[in-house]
Amino acid sequence: MFNLFKNKNKERETVKEIFAKSHDFNSFEFTNEKTKISFSLTFLSTLVEEKTIRECALPYLLEREFYKLEDAKQLLPLPDVQISTDPCAIEEKLLNGNVLLTIHGEANKFCLFAAVKDTARSITPPEVEFSVIGPKESFVESIDQNLSLLRKRIPIKELIIEEQTVGSLSKTRVAILYLDGITNKENVNTIRQRIKSIEFDEITDSSYIVQMISDNHNSPFPQLLDTERPDRVAAILAEGKVAVLVNGSPHALIAPTTLVEFFSSFEDYYLNWVLSSFFRLIRLFAVAFSILVTPVYVATLSYHYELIPQDLLSALVASRRAIPFPPILEALFLELTIELLREAGARLPTKVGQTIGIVGGIVIGTASVEAGLTSNVLLIFVALAALASFTTPVYKMGNTIRLLRFPFLLFAELWGLLGIVICFCFLLTHLIRLTSLGRPFLEPIYPLRKQDFKDSLIRLPFHKQSNRPFFLRTQQPNRFPEKTVKNEKKDIED
Amino acid sequence: MKVTIPENRKVAPFLVFFIIHSMQTGIGILGFTRIIARHAGYDSWMSIILVGIIIHILMWMIYKMTTIADGDIIAVHTYIFGKKLSKMVCSIFILYFCLLIVTVLRGFIEIVHVWMFPDLSIFWFALVFFILVIYIVNGGIRTITGIAFFSVVLPFYIVITFLLTIPYASFTNLLPMFDHSLTEVMKSAQSMSLTVIGFETLLFIYPFIKSPEKSRKWAFFSNIYTTLINLYVAIFTFAYFSENQLQKYTWPLLTIWKIIKMPFVERFEYIGIANWCLIILPNVCLALWCASWLVKQIFSIRQKTSVPALAIVCLASISLIITGETQNMLSDLTGRIGFYINFIYLPFLFFATLLARKVKKSETPS
Repeated sequence: MFNLFKNKNKERETVKEIFAKSHDFNSFEFTNEKTKISFSLTFLSTLVEEKTIRECALPYLLEREFYKLEDAKQLLPLPDVQISTDPCAIEEKLLNGNVLLTIHGEANKFCLFAAVKDTARSITPPEVEFSVIGPKESFVESIDQNLSLLRKRIPIKELIIEEQTVGSLSKTRVAILYLDGITNKENVNTIRQRIKSIEFDEITDSSYIVQMISDNHNSPFPQLLDTERPDRVAAILAEGKVAVLVNGSPHALIAPTTLVEFFSSFEDYYLNWVLSSFFRLIRLFAVAFSILVTPVYVATLSYHYELIPQDLLSALVASRRAIPFPPILEALFLELTIELLREAGARLPTKVGQTIGIVGGIVIGTASVEAGLTSNVLLIFVALAALASFTTPVYKMGNTIRLLRFPFLLFAELWGLLGIVICFCFLLTHLIRLTSLGRPFLEPIYPLRKQDFKDSLIRLPFHKQSNRPFFLRTQQPNRFPEKTVKNEKKDIED
Repeated sequence: MKVTIPENRKVAPFLVFFIIHSMQTGIGILGFTRIIARHAGYDSWMSIILVGIIIHILMWMIYKMTTIADGDIIAVHTYIFGKKLSKMVCSIFILYFCLLIVTVLRGFIEIVHVWMFPDLSIFWFALVFFILVIYIVNGGIRTITGIAFFSVVLPFYIVITFLLTIPYASFTNLLPMFDHSLTEVMKSAQSMSLTVIGFETLLFIYPFIKSPEKSRKWAFFSNIYTTLINLYVAIFTFAYFSENQLQKYTWPLLTIWKIIKMPFVERFEYIGIANWCLIILPNVCLALWCASWLVKQIFSIRQKTSVPALAIVCLASISLIITGETQNMLSDLTGRIGFYINFIYLPFLFFATLLARKVKKSETPS
């Protein structure tokens, strides 16, 4: 059998020799009890479920009669058994958890059967995108498990799962999901092409893919939405978007996306439309507040204190009277403290993290006010801004919001309100220029498409959502027939 | 000379509304009421309507010209004068747009100097502003249109703030009406040219409009909207100030804002002026874009080189205008040049186009 491990380059070590260096490489010789034919099994013990070999393969191969590989294939009660003559397949198959069966006498043929060890963890409730209402399952690291979750939610043959292997070392399986006949072909092609052109050795997570296939690599804004909720992925597939699943990553990617989508939690769809619209608007307000409140504080207190009415001003002055720093230093000090707390909390184990929160939030906050380093008014603003930034449902967008505050602060220190407006114009321009998979990122606000407002800043009731988002240019713009005739009452008492 | 623009670089017809309106609204609106009241007093609201009607006719002429010549301003000039002469004439427009940029931005800095920061560095502010403008213009006409869109939509709340002045306004000021002669009304109409110029951009962005025929109504709407906004501002200003008092303020609109008081904001003009930055932004961007597009067509220099080059020229000229008096002279000059170009040269161009068409038609059969 050793000649099967052929290598194109004879001078180098044979494949078998390289394999043999590893501890988990096993090759055993056996002899059939009836026909006295000797055969061998070769596998990597770390990848193979030994129980499968012990219970489903060995008893049959040892006790039943067989002379040839074809006979053996009939014997084995396993779903995936194949006979091949191509030695190049061996390496890949062994590394995917297959067992190699060879018979003495049949030198150029071999049999491969799958006995993959299932190491996927069980499905747990979503932790990052937790919702009180709605399904409580989230993706896991195994792509097969994730795909089966999605197949169950969209049990139609039109759900296409394309697979590619990316990464010269990691050989990561990447699946592209879309609905045939609905999703725009152009979007699928773009994403397929971009994934194909990835050149990297080790792809460990879907966030690698996001950074490599984004339209603008230098933007702080995420241009592909990532989610750990199978229900969300199923819903966006039905809308006509494309999903990407990466083996080893519990986060699916969604493309193309728009800015407002990052501020919509999937729970919005489980609530009544009035409530969810209200919550969405609250969230958008929170984002604006979170970015602007400290810069406005710095701008007004450094330059435009006339802007504040007298009664309010006296309260502000009283709180700032003993503080030796200009507003910008005060603000930067507190903002950086909050960032430190957040970073420390994220790096530490949960229990220690809570302690840090208490120490940082209460002790440092109160102490710094008492020590006269910061004013308590600013402390309120900074704490509120931090709170507001947590309302962002997508974690990656929350990070972006954290960062955006700092350029605004610097511009506010430079030119007051004027600087804030200039910085805002930079941000606005950046967002206008940004695209996701070639589709405008600010849609439906600019380009203005009123038909897409039904599910953006607000969410209209489901019977109003009969059309798929216009910007996706789907092959089937209608989701379901729109009800035209309504049995409305003609008068109050009819 | 027909230029074909790829479909994905063009803008939707309804966005012409935002382009034209944002181009017309600039720093002029802050102070025009004083200027028009100088001639026709409280009757000068009539001249706003008069100007609106004239612009409506001029826009109609622009659409007619572009349809006949099937293209932008260069195509129109080529249609009339031939290639070489058209290039020479159109290069004047490059200067015109640069002048417009300098006037608008320097005018804004002047307002900031007077109202917010007396020691704002002209150079550094203009530099940052131009970096922003270059960033926008590099995104192409679609990005500029986006900025124009937001500069109309986001500051809309300013329109509402005027309602807060109603308790202090006396609308009887406007009476008696028709107190001034037609010449006075005409004079005040002429003096408001800096406020309303900008609609000529149509002639330059014409090839970038998807189905230009459909954009016609949006262009007309934008003119109506601009006229209404101007009228609204003028009526509130006239109701708020007495005639003599009005002449004392350079920017009556900003002075009105002083009265606005909310529980958390007292001096509203700071917010207003900061916001005005967003309103003048599309002015500068569009002007710079038009100039660079002309440079590309006349001298075949890539826009990527001409945009920063023109910006540097404008930046240098802005930094040279140090005193407020020079700035006043400059805006008077720009107003006058704008008047001649828009209200005298454009009709001339229109009749020349008609004539050229007649000549060409009579030539073709023979």
